[in-house]
Amino acid sequence: MNVLRVIAATALAAVLAACGGGGGGGSGPPVVQPPAPPAISRADAFRLLNQATFGATEADAQAVVSMGYEAWIDQQLQRPASLELPHVQAAFAAYPPGADFTRLHEDRIDIWLRNALYAPDQLRQRVAFALSEIMVISQLSPLVGYPWGSASYYDMLARNAFGNFRVLMEDVTLHPAMGVYLSMLGNQKADAARNIRPDENYARELMQLFTIGLVELDPDGSIRRDGQGNPIATYDQQVIEGFAHVYTGWNFAGAPSFDLARPTIQNQMMPMQAYAEQHDTGTKRVLGYPGATFTQIPAGQTPQQDLDDALDNIFRHPNVAPFISRQLIQRLVASNPSPQYVERVARVFENDGTRRRGELSAVVKAILLDTEARTAPAAATAGRLDEPLLRLTRIWRAYGARSQSGRLNVQNIPGFIGQGPLQAPSVFNFFSPFYAPPGEILDQGLVAPEAQLSTEYLTSLLTNYFFILSFCYNTAPVQGCPAVPPALAPDLVLIDTGPERAVAADSAALVQRIADRLAGGAISPALRAEARAMVDRVPASESSLRAAEALYLVSTSPELALQR
Amino acid sequence: MDRINRRRFLKALSAGGLACAFGRTPQAAFAAASGTQAAFDDYKALVCVFLFGGNDSFNMVVPRSPVEYAEYAAARQNLAIAQASLLPLNPLVPDPDGARYGLHPSLPEIAQLFEQDEACAVVANVGPLIEPVTKAQFQARSVRLPPQLFSHNDQQDQWHALKGEATARSGWGGRVADVITGPQVPAPLVQPLAVNLSLSGQSLFQTGLTAPPYTMGATGPVELFGLEGNDPLSLARRAAFDAVLGASYGTVYERAYARVQQSARRSAGTIGAALAAVRSPNAAPFTTAFPASPLGTQLRTVAEMIAARDALQVNRQIFFVATGGFDTHDAQAADQPGLLGNVSRGLAAFYRATAEMGVASRVTTFTQSDFGRTLTSNGDGTDHAWGGNQLVIGGAVAGRRIYGSYPLLRIDGPDDVGGGRMIPGISCDQYAATLAAWFGVPDAELATVAPHIGNFTERDLGFLAA
Repeated sequence: MNVLRVIAATALAAVLAACGGGGGGGSGPPVVQPPAPPAISRADAFRLLNQATFGATEADAQAVVSMGYEAWIDQQLQRPASLELPHVQAAFAAYPPGADFTRLHEDRIDIWLRNALYAPDQLRQRVAFALSEIMVISQLSPLVGYPWGSASYYDMLARNAFGNFRVLMEDVTLHPAMGVYLSMLGNQKADAARNIRPDENYARELMQLFTIGLVELDPDGSIRRDGQGNPIATYDQQVIEGFAHVYTGWNFAGAPSFDLARPTIQNQMMPMQAYAEQHDTGTKRVLGYPGATFTQIPAGQTPQQDLDDALDNIFRHPNVAPFISRQLIQRLVASNPSPQYVERVARVFENDGTRRRGELSAVVKAILLDTEARTAPAAATAGRLDEPLLRLTRIWRAYGARSQSGRLNVQNIPGFIGQGPLQAPSVFNFFSPFYAPPGEILDQGLVAPEAQLSTEYLTSLLTNYFFILSFCYNTAPVQGCPAVPPALAPDLVLIDTGPERAVAADSAALVQRIADRLAGGAISPALRAEARAMVDRVPASESSLRAAEALYLVSTSPELALQR
Repeated sequence: MDRINRRRFLKALSAGGLACAFGRTPQAAFAAASGTQAAFDDYKALVCVFLFGGNDSFNMVVPRSPVEYAEYAAARQNLAIAQASLLPLNPLVPDPDGARYGLHPSLPEIAQLFEQDEACAVVANVGPLIEPVTKAQFQARSVRLPPQLFSHNDQQDQWHALKGEATARSGWGGRVADVITGPQVPAPLVQPLAVNLSLSGQSLFQTGLTAPPYTMGATGPVELFGLEGNDPLSLARRAAFDAVLGASYGTVYERAYARVQQSARRSAGTIGAALAAVRSPNAAPFTTAFPASPLGTQLRTVAEMIAARDALQVNRQIFFVATGGFDTHDAQAADQPGLLGNVSRGLAAFYRATAEMGVASRVTTFTQSDFGRTLTSNGDGTDHAWGGNQLVIGGAVAGRRIYGSYPLLRIDGPDDVGGGRMIPGISCDQYAATLAAWFGVPDAELATVAPHIGNFTERDLGFLAA
């Protein structure tokens, strides 16, 4: 087929991947009958699953329809975490002596993709991914030398995804991967004679990005303003310096002293250890806010006592509930939640019903069961753009993607879709929660964080990947696809387009099949008509090509870039 | 007047002031007054090189005269660059008090551009300001200050947007494009491609309110597979793909996505073809080798885009390229040589390539960065600060000069607001307005581009000849 001559062999090599193990997504036998809620349609089930998993599948949708939303969520909340570290460690065991261990990041991405595609704890994994985009670390940093630490950090997020936020804060703070990334690890006490003062990096970003943000918020997430109408800063430079002094004295665990602490494979998976000789023991200024029980940490405490006080001080700040609730809603459900939605979730953050603050299982459940998440969206601002990684996992899951070898060892994933797990360009993530692309979104004061990745360049990369997937990387490639080098073939990720080919002679049935798998049947009449017309230009006997043309048009359409 | 203040006064007069008097501003004013505003029928490009993370630029341009170096070394301690290793700068207008400066030893190519080519200038101690600030005013909070000083994304946004409000809606590069393509000018620029082209992702800097930017990769745009052919199936697929993008959508997100994909469809083929022509062995518009770094790759592509300007039918372009890693909280002494060396080799290669093509005076390259860094250290690195030094390079640059006043690098000195955070002596608005004026923004519209320019007496820093 001439149409494929544009696919360079290099493009093929760049898109290598494979898959394996595991069964279908996180469905299970229905165990609880819902108390007679309105019937759940397939499209309704797809909406929940696209919010709560790495992509709805028809099998999972059937489970949601039969179980009901809450029972399905409750079942997910019980699932233990699927982890990355055991896979990375097993991979390392098979490395030849002297091999470049930074390549373990490829194994880390392999297991990230396998968990995203096949792990039964889909909701936990999806929340962990959301947390990894709030409490960001990145391989694109000195952490390239810490693949065990990076996998261990992600596992920590997965373990805490349904736990308590205060515990999460401490685990993040003391994780050596974060310590390396934001330089709290090795932060030493002041030495006035040498113009040395504590490192302010972690002190600043823990507050600005991970917990409270820069300005005071109302419980519904709105920005509070002073008498002149200006936002009110949550802290000043002196507070940052106070916390910077708190976070002194921590280093890799297991050394005889601060100065002798060195990274090992083991201690990059263990919490950092305090070394008292480099901890600043003076008083430290912390946050002041209504209800704060203290605004200064007393002198003479241990590093752990100081840390406990500091994290309690931040955790109790009134901003945490709306700040984190809004971002989790944005990551799971909608870019522009109503203030009422944010407040409903923030109230659950403040009190889960048993007077406990920061219980993430309750927060996640409140986000997903909220009426704004569950009713069919009508507003022009409902939903969110899917980011490239989620668009990739969504189509892979819908189409049962796998490889011969079982590996999903996608090298250079940002090179072909513009995003990779734990590969943000900085602690500010791939996109800002406040990003607004120019045009009506900016003009209306709305945001679309993921649109920061929707550049001409990046959307085209992903569109081209879907082209290759539709025409070549599937169980019946069209004629003319470039040959896959034998060494790469076992790892190639293929999707199963058999059901499409089976009905390909009938363009209406073909497009319906694709709509069912990708969108629970719900695609627009216009897209359906365009796809059918395109299919009808291809001879009925060419089932692979007909399926490819339809899948390409549907999968690259703007409506499939939207998570409704 | 003590020595430092007198020096500041004299330097402002000798560098900015005089150059301003003989610079382009009077001509621009004349042109605007006499209605002879040019119709953008020549070619000019601005190239913004953003150093993400906050470049420690008081280690990039360093005092080397004894008194000033002693202050520097006392402040910087174990992060100080050795005096003997500094690459000397000998400005055409020497400092009246004899202060002398040098470049970090990893910047030999930049030193040559400054000294021999006279195509590079240093703009000292630039940073976000709403109005001029003294230390006393800062401490008393008696003047307006940009919000969230010392925070990465906020200060990046300040550099990009020059806005006083926390929420910035457009960037100054975007507003330059808005002005020169809009009704504010008598003969607006019309060209088939966006004025703003990014080779490094979305940037607020390039976001206009009316003129959208175009984003490509480091080596050019991505052409969409299967949509460019002229066989019947490709033609049909292209028509169907475009029809899907052109359909009406119910959410703002789908519409935003469709608009970007449509923009890609419109321009990728044109740019790809023009770049392919320039890259063909017969064309070879320049022979300068570029470093293989991401920055070098981006700058080579910019040079190729400039080589293709006639084929692309463009007269005004603002390019955005970037390189990261400058947030040196840790291991600064080990990392900074590589970071700066990469900048030096990349910027110099780019200048050489433009000179080969005979367009050096039509292309002005300038650095921006989140902020300068603290003069004090946290042991082996530095933290977020405020003012910093920038480099401007090009044939139109009145080079081999240091513009503005290099501050006294003294902890708790007159320019330090704490920990060695220097109060900027020059605002980003002044820096941007000088570049925008050269690019063709009329004087009356400079406040559109740089909203606080009216708060500063020097509207044009004078580092660009007409």
